[in-house]
Amino acid sequence: MAARPRILFHWSFLIVAALIPLIELLLPGHPHVGDLLRPIFIMAMLGLGLNILTGFTGQLNLGVAAFMAVGAYSYAILTCDIYPFRLGFWSATALTVLVGLTVGLFLGLPTIRLRGDYLAIVTLGFGEIVEDVLKNLDSITKGTQGINPLPSPSWFGYHFRAETYQPWYYLFLAFLAVLVLLNRNLQRSRVGRAWISIREDELASSCMGVNPMKMKLLAFALGAAQCSLAGALWASYLGSSGEPGNYDFQVSIIALCIVIVGGMGNIGGVLLGALVIMGFNSIVLETVTNFLKAHQIISSSNVFTSPGSWKYMMYGLALILMMRFRPEGLLPSRQFKAEAHPDQPHSPPTS
Amino acid sequence: MNILEISDLTVRFGGLTAVNAVSLDIPAKEIVSVIGPNGAGKTTLFNAITGIYDPTSGAIRFNGQEARRPFRWTTALALALIGFVSGLSLVLIANVEPLWDTSITSNYVYEQAFLWSKAFSAASGYFSESPGQHFAVPFLIGGLIGLAGAFAIWQRTRRAPEVAARAGIARTFQNIRLFNQMTALDNVLLGMDSQLRTRVWHAALRLPLYWRERDESARQAMDILRFVDLDREANQLAENLSYGHQRRLEIARALAMQPRLLLLDEPAAGMNPAETQELMKLIHDIRERGITVLLIEHHMQVVMGISDRIAVLDHGEKIAAGTPPEVRNNPRVVEAYLGKTYEDPPPT
Repeated sequence: MAARPRILFHWSFLIVAALIPLIELLLPGHPHVGDLLRPIFIMAMLGLGLNILTGFTGQLNLGVAAFMAVGAYSYAILTCDIYPFRLGFWSATALTVLVGLTVGLFLGLPTIRLRGDYLAIVTLGFGEIVEDVLKNLDSITKGTQGINPLPSPSWFGYHFRAETYQPWYYLFLAFLAVLVLLNRNLQRSRVGRAWISIREDELASSCMGVNPMKMKLLAFALGAAQCSLAGALWASYLGSSGEPGNYDFQVSIIALCIVIVGGMGNIGGVLLGALVIMGFNSIVLETVTNFLKAHQIISSSNVFTSPGSWKYMMYGLALILMMRFRPEGLLPSRQFKAEAHPDQPHSPPTS
Repeated sequence: MNILEISDLTVRFGGLTAVNAVSLDIPAKEIVSVIGPNGAGKTTLFNAITGIYDPTSGAIRFNGQEARRPFRWTTALALALIGFVSGLSLVLIANVEPLWDTSITSNYVYEQAFLWSKAFSAASGYFSESPGQHFAVPFLIGGLIGLAGAFAIWQRTRRAPEVAARAGIARTFQNIRLFNQMTALDNVLLGMDSQLRTRVWHAALRLPLYWRERDESARQAMDILRFVDLDREANQLAENLSYGHQRRLEIARALAMQPRLLLLDEPAAGMNPAETQELMKLIHDIRERGITVLLIEHHMQVVMGISDRIAVLDHGEKIAAGTPPEVRNNPRVVEAYLGKTYEDPPPT
């Protein structure tokens, strides 16, 4: 059957990712590639959340950073010892996911009848509002300082510490793997099919008995929950909620770039998109800039010649080129693959 | 027995009356055609039946009742709950900072035990200090906004297409509206959506119900594809199918809903004579399954060949109805299609 090699292919990714920190220990000089991969995992989770909304359901959302901020701040409030809650890592994370779900529902309810550009504008506004609220609600969010320090999570007596990155790496990888699994299960069920049908043709979909409002609301809630989970994990790793400016419009746009570059509506594509965009940002650009500075090709004082200053222009260029030459993304979704093998019997008969 | 009864249906868009006081009864298990010149209001009639347009006046009764969401006690409960929650949310939003200060900040000493009872009594003290301003006003405003908004949305979607679809009315579209990026099989499976019982948690965690329904529904979908002779194209993307195949896939998707009434909007448009013959046979087979078919068609060969009854619309009004021979010989129908003949030449 065709299903077996595909499963092996997916598992091999997970195994390679799991081996990276171990291989690093064997290499001379202990390069910290795994350390750099952690923000990629977080952004991949954010991308997966956005993918449900924009990739599957076709609802353009320009405010996912706000959901991430909600997650980070609720996690911080629930764990930080300047507040009376002082929950542990797992219960705080679980509660944060619930908070994200609720916030997604609350944003979804009044905006559910908006479409396309209008929804994008409203979500954009929501993102700005959340950022401003976090800045100004001093007594709860500590304004622009952010809430810190957060206790590091512990599990069966083992304490995660900021100096050793490997436990964090595995924690994030495990969360990402579970999210990928859940998203894939949803995608290949009637839920995912209904979402995609709304993206393709909402009117036809409702004429087939799908309730578009219900499905869009579900997408909003689940997408927001995943984004807030990403926020909670990020806060737990930083040991701080981060300042409100960390969750601005640029984060939403990067998440959107990840989904579009990777391939709308394709989970593997989102992971690849996160690797490409964030890898470019935190690995390639950094390395090139450091190399150029070390060899005194550019001066460190001149921001115009530093490649890092040009990154948003490069994102923009990448988006334009993608739209022109490969609008379906780097990894096209499984429908294209199914189409490429018409002679195969219906290998994944989805329910 | 009539499966669909349309009485005095009028649909108006601003000043344009697309359908004007049309009454039409569709007997069960028959093939009824609606014909008429372009712009006669045929597709508007379909859109009104399937809940896409709200009728300006008149009634559409399917199976003896109107296809719209009933107002049950669960609806009332949900509306009340939404109003209550939005009222509470506004109370929290309006008072968030003083409430937090009085109940949490002032009761918590760093790293010492926190008494929730003290926090709650402080919070209730804050509200009783000025119950009108702190609680009643925001609660009423939020509750009213939530209730009114939820009620408005519910009211506007009472006759939504999905309600008609779930009642048992399936349709195809004049300009094919398939889900282009989905395979033919997935298109049919989507049509079956309202019969599936899998919920989000079943799907996410792959509980036994998911597996059972997945195999079962895939088998049924393949049966339906076989019925319209598309089983070899099951894994093709809908957008890559040929035009005739797309038309048939739309019918298959509609059949997957297990409808009692099937509305076909110009199914033979753009088909060659051989495909048209196949289509006529297919429509016959559908009727044999006990499904009533309501058809809009311009191909007179198809209309006269398979219809049990025909209704003729012109300028939004029903000008004739009856069996094919009756309609063919009706002078008003001939007039609508060919124009008036002058019996007496105008005096010179």
